[in-house]
Amino acid sequence: MYLPDFDYIAATSVAEASRLLASLGPEAKILAGGTDVLPMMKQETIAPKTLVSITRLDGLKAISLEEGRGVVIGALCTHNEVMKSSLLQEKYLSVCETAHRMANNQIRNIGTIGGNITNAVPSADFPPILIALGATVTLQSNSGSRSVLLEDFFTGPRQSVIRQDEILTEIVIPVNGFNGSTYHKFGLRRSGALAVVGVAVAVVMEGDLCKDVRIALGAVAPTPIRAREAEALLRGKEINDALLEEAGKLAAAASKPISDMRGSAEYRRDMVRVFTRRCLRKAIDQGHV
Amino acid sequence: MKREQFAVIGKSKPRIDGRVKVTGQAKYTGDIKLSNMLVGKILTSPHAHARILNIDTSEAERLPGVKAVITHKDVPSLKYGISPARWDENIFCIDKVRFVGDKVAAVAAIDEETVYKALKLIKVEYEVLPAVFDPIEALQEGAPLIHEEFPGNVNTEIHQSFGDVEKAFAEAYYVRTDTFVGQRTYQCPIEPHSAISVWEGGKLTVYSSTQSPHYFQYYIARQFGLKMGDVRVIKPHMGGGFGGKLEPTGLEFAGAALAMKTGRPVKMFYDRHEMFAHNRGRHKQIMKVTTGVDKNGKILGVHADFIMDGGAYTSLGVATAYYAGAMLPLTYEYENYKFDMVRAYTNLPACGAQRGHGHPQPRYAYECHLDMIAKDLGMDPLELRLINARKPNTVTPNAFRVNSCELEACLKKAREISGWDEKRKNLPSGKGIGLAVGSFVSGAGYPIYRTNLPHAAAMIKVNEDGTSATLYTGAVDIGQGSDTILCQMAAEAMGYTYEQMKIVAADTETTPHDFGAYASRQTLMSGAAVKQAGEEIRKQVIEMASMMLQTDYRDLEICEGLIWRRSDPSVTITFAEVARELFVRKGPLVGKGSYAPPRLGGTFKGAPVGTSPAYSFCAQISQVDIDEETGEIKVEHVWDVHDCGTVINPALLHGQVHGALFMGVGEAVWEEVVFDDKGKILNANLGEYRLPTALDMPKVTSELVFSEEPEPAGPWGVKEVGEGSTIPTMGCYSNAIYDAMGVRVYSLPLSYEKIWRALKGKREQEQKG
Amino acid sequence: MQAIQDKEGVKRYLITLYVNGDSYTRVVKANTLLVNVLRDELDLTGTKKGCELGDCGSCTVLLDGKPVNSCLVLAVEADGHEILTIEGLGENEKLDPLQEAFIANAALQCGYCTSGMIMSAKALLNSNPNPTEQEVREAIAGNLCRCTGYVNIVKAILSCAQQPEGGSE
Repeated sequence: MYLPDFDYIAATSVAEASRLLASLGPEAKILAGGTDVLPMMKQETIAPKTLVSITRLDGLKAISLEEGRGVVIGALCTHNEVMKSSLLQEKYLSVCETAHRMANNQIRNIGTIGGNITNAVPSADFPPILIALGATVTLQSNSGSRSVLLEDFFTGPRQSVIRQDEILTEIVIPVNGFNGSTYHKFGLRRSGALAVVGVAVAVVMEGDLCKDVRIALGAVAPTPIRAREAEALLRGKEINDALLEEAGKLAAAASKPISDMRGSAEYRRDMVRVFTRRCLRKAIDQGHV
Repeated sequence: MKREQFAVIGKSKPRIDGRVKVTGQAKYTGDIKLSNMLVGKILTSPHAHARILNIDTSEAERLPGVKAVITHKDVPSLKYGISPARWDENIFCIDKVRFVGDKVAAVAAIDEETVYKALKLIKVEYEVLPAVFDPIEALQEGAPLIHEEFPGNVNTEIHQSFGDVEKAFAEAYYVRTDTFVGQRTYQCPIEPHSAISVWEGGKLTVYSSTQSPHYFQYYIARQFGLKMGDVRVIKPHMGGGFGGKLEPTGLEFAGAALAMKTGRPVKMFYDRHEMFAHNRGRHKQIMKVTTGVDKNGKILGVHADFIMDGGAYTSLGVATAYYAGAMLPLTYEYENYKFDMVRAYTNLPACGAQRGHGHPQPRYAYECHLDMIAKDLGMDPLELRLINARKPNTVTPNAFRVNSCELEACLKKAREISGWDEKRKNLPSGKGIGLAVGSFVSGAGYPIYRTNLPHAAAMIKVNEDGTSATLYTGAVDIGQGSDTILCQMAAEAMGYTYEQMKIVAADTETTPHDFGAYASRQTLMSGAAVKQAGEEIRKQVIEMASMMLQTDYRDLEICEGLIWRRSDPSVTITFAEVARELFVRKGPLVGKGSYAPPRLGGTFKGAPVGTSPAYSFCAQISQVDIDEETGEIKVEHVWDVHDCGTVINPALLHGQVHGALFMGVGEAVWEEVVFDDKGKILNANLGEYRLPTALDMPKVTSELVFSEEPEPAGPWGVKEVGEGSTIPTMGCYSNAIYDAMGVRVYSLPLSYEKIWRALKGKREQEQKG
Repeated sequence: MQAIQDKEGVKRYLITLYVNGDSYTRVVKANTLLVNVLRDELDLTGTKKGCELGDCGSCTVLLDGKPVNSCLVLAVEADGHEILTIEGLGENEKLDPLQEAFIANAALQCGYCTSGMIMSAKALLNSNPNPTEQEVREAIAGNLCRCTGYVNIVKAILSCAQQPEGGSE
């Protein structure tokens, strides 16, 4: 295989990266881990004229707890860094578990969480769990910085609200009251497989009472989506199995999957039902986020 | 049991190539660099069926660094194919392309980057023609015609009948018919195909990742009108083949033409997606099977009525088509057998031989079918198989002579080690256990093209001072370990040590002829030649030792490099001392051997396919856990019991079982080449064509059974092992899924979604009823 | 990283890689991949190419101690970094215990995945000297092997695991 020619510029700051992206226009792409952009270039799906490397921006590689903001994950953290972060393991184990099931070990060592989000692939694993946990992303450019709720970030397959000159610099999981969360990736192989269906759930439980719940679905619509009808059904109710099954059905009804070689729309929809119910049960029972 | 004790064979000696492979020193074809070498690639068709109107190479030729661009005008137009029965391929397409990936032109340039750029500059004008992708549609009237010479898109048609099946069915207590559908899979060796061609003064040397230097030499010479002696094919270290590297590809032909044109060595290679497009993987078969049994479950007759998708060319498909039916009667004894088959051309990549050649899918169909009969009769499926299992020293209805056969013992041992009887009754809901059997050849009785050459030959030369011996063999180590086990066999036969053996293999110029690595032939056939060569050395050494020790040769024993007097074991001399003396007195100490099988099989059309000097047998049981809501299948454990004759190297032998089983696991659940509606492969990569990963592979127990009398046809009684364990796996899983959930999936792979759909159907039925 | 431009305007970069303990300075293009520098420039052909998309793991090397697919790393991005390839394991005649274990357990057949497989295993044992079977399987799940069914590979890697202090469990 052959990686077509391109110009390479290593940015030394976010400001420089933003300036370059603004001046070079849509034919410039960001290079972070490269695990998505390089295979696409080799397969001639995309042909950027310039890759602006941000891999040396060490400021985007930290995971920290910030007073008043929550847990802040630098966009250049690799999947394995997310998985191994002791802070995340303590605060949001479900995010670490999500990272653990992604791609394979070699990819997890270079693929970044920022890349997994900005690529806006419908089957991406991080978005559902981060949406369920109410995460925001910070988009920075030379005209300023803005915070976008991750749920509002995606606009279609490989499309998002990010502007050409913007760089996703961090993911913020705000302080929230969730006491249970989980993500389940349903793939056709135990490693190196894309999600056929991805279901994330976050709950606030008081005994059997569901005070709050968020359900986010991946790979079953042009973007990750919330299953709001299912959430509404559960909110404020005493939880039982029948109710969870009903929530699964509502989530399935909310999904808009396509049929492709990995699975038919019909199958995917039913898997949304099954895994929504199972994820709810797991998030409720396991007693941690 | 009459089992000999051996000194060198029967032991898990470390691989002879182990060290160079774990250190990265082993050079595979793609690792070789020659001075002044160019890089070449082939331009392929983007259309499944199209007329070539014009090819303009001028722009590509003008690109700096491009040294040659060739099309059909620059190469011989002689048709070729690995099966002489149907030569239907050209080096480059002349009038039309027949699948997405068909070969149109080739470029040689100074480096990879230039080659890829040049390919884009070749302008081909096509007139797109209607295409057909389904074998049944291809056989219908009015379907697009793929080859003018083959009306109706019929590539191969077979009608064989033995005994009287109609009568058997009429007399049967119970007759059942089922139809199953297989899928197209691909061998996926991890090493991509690669070939380096060197043209020097009328001689062509080709380094190739090939399973058969001989067939490559034969066909390359034929194509270019060269003497076979002027074509040298060398196989460097090789990263797997599994059937996909048995026939020459465009890389050898185009590479040779480019080397001749430029006068420089040319390295050609396929990218992973090009390997998928070249394909030659497993045929998709549509299989209707009918069986008549008496009230005890004894099989009276079988009718196999199959259609297979051959793709755009013949490849090894004529043999595949025959194998599909020929192998079925090996496992069970019955006299009435009918086999009908049509191999259809379609506008998809050509299919060929993949591990288990033609047999795994029919075996899947038949083993499922047999379980359904067992259920209808209220019998334990294992009992039904025991009743019908082939016995040693029998002949199949299609005239295959079976010497050793321990299928019954395989079944009994599998039952015991898997806990079959207990598990049949007591497994919790969602879990199930299933059984299937298989059998395979230990080498094909006849070569691929007609010739009276022996099938294998070997030569051993002992070093002047006797401190090492080199085995020269045409046998091809593609990873299975033939270099290792043949050296063990040589040392055993010579009375020498394995550790002092060296090997030169798979080079048509320096090593004696051998047909190569296919049909599980080398342990038996190459091994027979090696044994003979080793025994010739042993005889010379004993004779010389008898002179040196002044002892009657009948009183001398030789083992692992030491010779001693039987009557007085304190009198010894080393092999090395004797060998040195032999060289001083008589010149090089050389032994040679060759092997040709006896005349095998019947005289009917297609009778040679499936003949073999010896057959292996195996029984497989697997335990699965099914998620009843998602259809996800988790295989927990597979027990494989093989009757593979005498074992040369237990570690390598079990490795063959593991690998064959692994391929069966993949094909059973995950693997399938998928096309879009234009005939383009959707998953020509290792992300979406899902080989099992280390996390997907079940626990494996591999056990052996041995016959009282060693197999007479093989050296020391060896038989097949490399392919046999691929054969039962798919049927075995299907039967386990049925046991777990009571649903039958009638097509491969047994994907999660298909199981889910079957379970859903069953629930809906139950609700209605 | 210095860049030079030739007459046609193609940019080339001067990079230094620390491979197997040695420093190598080379001139590469932006689109040159680490795997190609290793194989074509440094002649370290133990690192293989199998799929070139990060699916098979044949090209696995350790980049600053972590296993990565060298087919997905730009050479310019590896500038200044430490790389360990299969050729860097063991010392002279003495093989690394993992290499010995692969031979002893018949954990290789065609050998094409072996380099990458051993590198993944090496990284695992460096960070986790006493892994469970599940951890071993996870560590090599990005290394596809078509020959062995992974049975003996897993066995070989486990045989290199250190016994926990105080003897075996």
